[in-house]
Amino acid sequence: MKYKILKALDVAGLQFLDPIVRLIYGEEPKVQLSKIGRFIVIPILAFIAFLGIWGYVAPKHATKSGEVPTPGVVANAADGIWTFHKRENIKSRDYLLAGDRKETSLTEAQDRLASITKAEKAASSKVAEAQSALSAEIASLQAPHKKELAELKAFNKTASNSRKDSLSELAESVSENSSSEREAYLDALRDHNSLSALEKENEKKISAKIDEIAGMKYQPLIDARFALKLVAEEKQFLQKRVEYLSKNNRSEKVAEYEAKLGEYEATLASSSGKELEKTGARILRQEERIERVSDSSYAQPWTFPRQIKRSLMCVFFGFILASMIAIPIGILCGLSSVFMAAMTPFIALFKPVSPIVWLPIALIVVGGFIPDPDKHWFIDSINSLPIIGSYDLNPAFIASAITVALCSLWPTLVNTALGVASIDKDHINVARVLRLGFWSRLFKIVIPSALPLIFAGLRISLGVGWMVLIAAELLSSSEGIGKFVWDMFNNGSSDSFAQMFVVVFVVGLIGMILDRTMIVFQRLVSFDEAPTSI
Amino acid sequence: MLQDRYVELFNVVKAYPNPFGEDIAVVDGFNLTISQGEFISVIGHSGCGKSTVLTMIAGLNPITDGGIVVAGKEISGPGPDRAVVFQAPCLLPWMTAFQNVMLGVKQVYPNASKSDKMAMAEYSLSVVGLADAMDKYPRELSGGMQQRVGIARAIALKPKMLLLDEPFGRLDSLTRMELQDVILNILNFDKITTMMITHDPDEAVYMSDRICMMTNGPGAKVGEVMDIHFERPRNRQEIMGTSEFFDYRGRLIQFLNDCETEKEERRKAAS
Repeated sequence: MKYKILKALDVAGLQFLDPIVRLIYGEEPKVQLSKIGRFIVIPILAFIAFLGIWGYVAPKHATKSGEVPTPGVVANAADGIWTFHKRENIKSRDYLLAGDRKETSLTEAQDRLASITKAEKAASSKVAEAQSALSAEIASLQAPHKKELAELKAFNKTASNSRKDSLSELAESVSENSSSEREAYLDALRDHNSLSALEKENEKKISAKIDEIAGMKYQPLIDARFALKLVAEEKQFLQKRVEYLSKNNRSEKVAEYEAKLGEYEATLASSSGKELEKTGARILRQEERIERVSDSSYAQPWTFPRQIKRSLMCVFFGFILASMIAIPIGILCGLSSVFMAAMTPFIALFKPVSPIVWLPIALIVVGGFIPDPDKHWFIDSINSLPIIGSYDLNPAFIASAITVALCSLWPTLVNTALGVASIDKDHINVARVLRLGFWSRLFKIVIPSALPLIFAGLRISLGVGWMVLIAAELLSSSEGIGKFVWDMFNNGSSDSFAQMFVVVFVVGLIGMILDRTMIVFQRLVSFDEAPTSI
Repeated sequence: MLQDRYVELFNVVKAYPNPFGEDIAVVDGFNLTISQGEFISVIGHSGCGKSTVLTMIAGLNPITDGGIVVAGKEISGPGPDRAVVFQAPCLLPWMTAFQNVMLGVKQVYPNASKSDKMAMAEYSLSVVGLADAMDKYPRELSGGMQQRVGIARAIALKPKMLLLDEPFGRLDSLTRMELQDVILNILNFDKITTMMITHDPDEAVYMSDRICMMTNGPGAKVGEVMDIHFERPRNRQEIMGTSEFFDYRGRLIQFLNDCETEKEERRKAAS
């Protein structure tokens, strides 16, 4: 059992859990504890230290979009993103509810709304309290400085006036032909000016202090405002929810339209001539409307988790496309040195091209194939697929996926070619003695032998693709993580800076998971150390 | 007639170009006739071209001049009628022992039913003593067991000729002896014409019907052919105790020593 667990951990690439398992089974506790210290505790400590340094340094740098967010602010932003997503899901469910479940949800939402309205009041009075406390605090802190400023101003004024008086006296007393006396006057005037500037400077310093106190950070107020914001958001959500459970609910709308239809039908029964024509047309329109509404669903906005899913889908489309191109070409390159020679210039030329260059080209080319995305058979058919369809695939998505493919196919291609070309000579001899045909030689000898290197290439490709994807989405405005970052950059609200930091962690985490998954695949196909049974 | 001259090598030449573009004949004028069911060993100093001769019969190495006829047909290229056991086991590491053997069986008997093919593969693995290790991967097997799979793969092809290219060269001496007996047992059942490359005189005397001694290269050819008159099936202990065994062995070693001194003299004369 123990060895099975250890082997499974090894395959999954979670070797750092190894000492814990061994410790549970009581194997050399000292050794295991020191390993736990090295591979688990130290990384955690390092991460905590990183958070500490970040939290200390970040507020020191003020930007146009506010201070650089601290870890706490980023965590709140992440929570906000998640809450928004959950609420949108609830709304979209509410829209479709009907009958008893709708009624129970409605009363639930209304109850919550009542209590949250109270909570909002409490929160806003807390904000007001904090505000007045802050004002009092500011006033008391400012008072000594204000006094000092007033005194300094009075003192400076008298000093300045007396200097001015003595200057006028000096000007009076200058004799007619004495240039040295004139010089002396100018010197005195210079002294006066520089002294006045100095006095102004000192006054400004104190004013600056007063201003600084006025703009002071008051944590209770910040907390109170944040609490109020959360409550206000929830209140708005609940109000919307009540709407979607009552008058904006799908079943309610259908019922309303049907009632209207009933009226029209009654009118139709007793009408003739012009009126009959009018009512007939109305009935048809109403029937159409009912049909449309009863098929409709809540127009859910692009929340970040949905954008993540779409990004993942995009990277997989691109990755699969890249693999479908790179692996066959790589195999041909490895098998035939002539083909390799023909491909070398293309590989060397296109490999270094940046995604930023490919994307506009891909957008234009895809746009050429799909001039009207709303009425194109390909877009229609992929959007009518069950799960994929709900992500609204469009030409921008396809162009992003193609860009991902164009940038990420090179590592797979080169590695596949290398793997196929460096196949063991003995294995080739076996194939020759057995007189294997081309296809069985390819599938039984060449590909299995090249598989570890092919997967090493695929792993690099997926990593490259994930990095390229964010840039591609950002440029093509294809809904996804890149688009989210771009929107946050452009809207410049106080939250958006922190939300961009959230993206950093999300992108890193997903990239790490993708990489680890590929490592597991790579280990499973590499015959040298592949586990035969877990 | 055909049985006596089952395999014939006429004046076989193998030449490789040297860096100056001149062709250097590694093997020059190699003549040998093997009768059906015979076990012949080729012995010689390393580098004399023994393996070259074998790979030429296997068809893995094109012949520069001359010809090789196996069972009345001149060979062209490799084929499963001449099964090779290489010095390294050369198993495909992504297949189990069974799958490795099956690969050849499928190729040679494409029309046989699946159960027949499986039976053939299982039989040849059990003959080499691997009935219990059929589903293991090569990396899970010891060197000796891997080489057994290599032998099983070769005999499963039901070849006209078995070519052994220093098959025990990489094994320790105990395993080597075991595998020698494995091969002799198989050949007692099924008289396959066999050629073995070796540089171990004991092995050659113990296993062979005839031993072909090769002169040193370049331009190696058959120096001397010695018949070994031991009855089959052979028993190691009995044979190794006889005075004939020592005579045969002495002659072999004498020949190899002569080759070496001749080479030395040639080198001295050249310098």
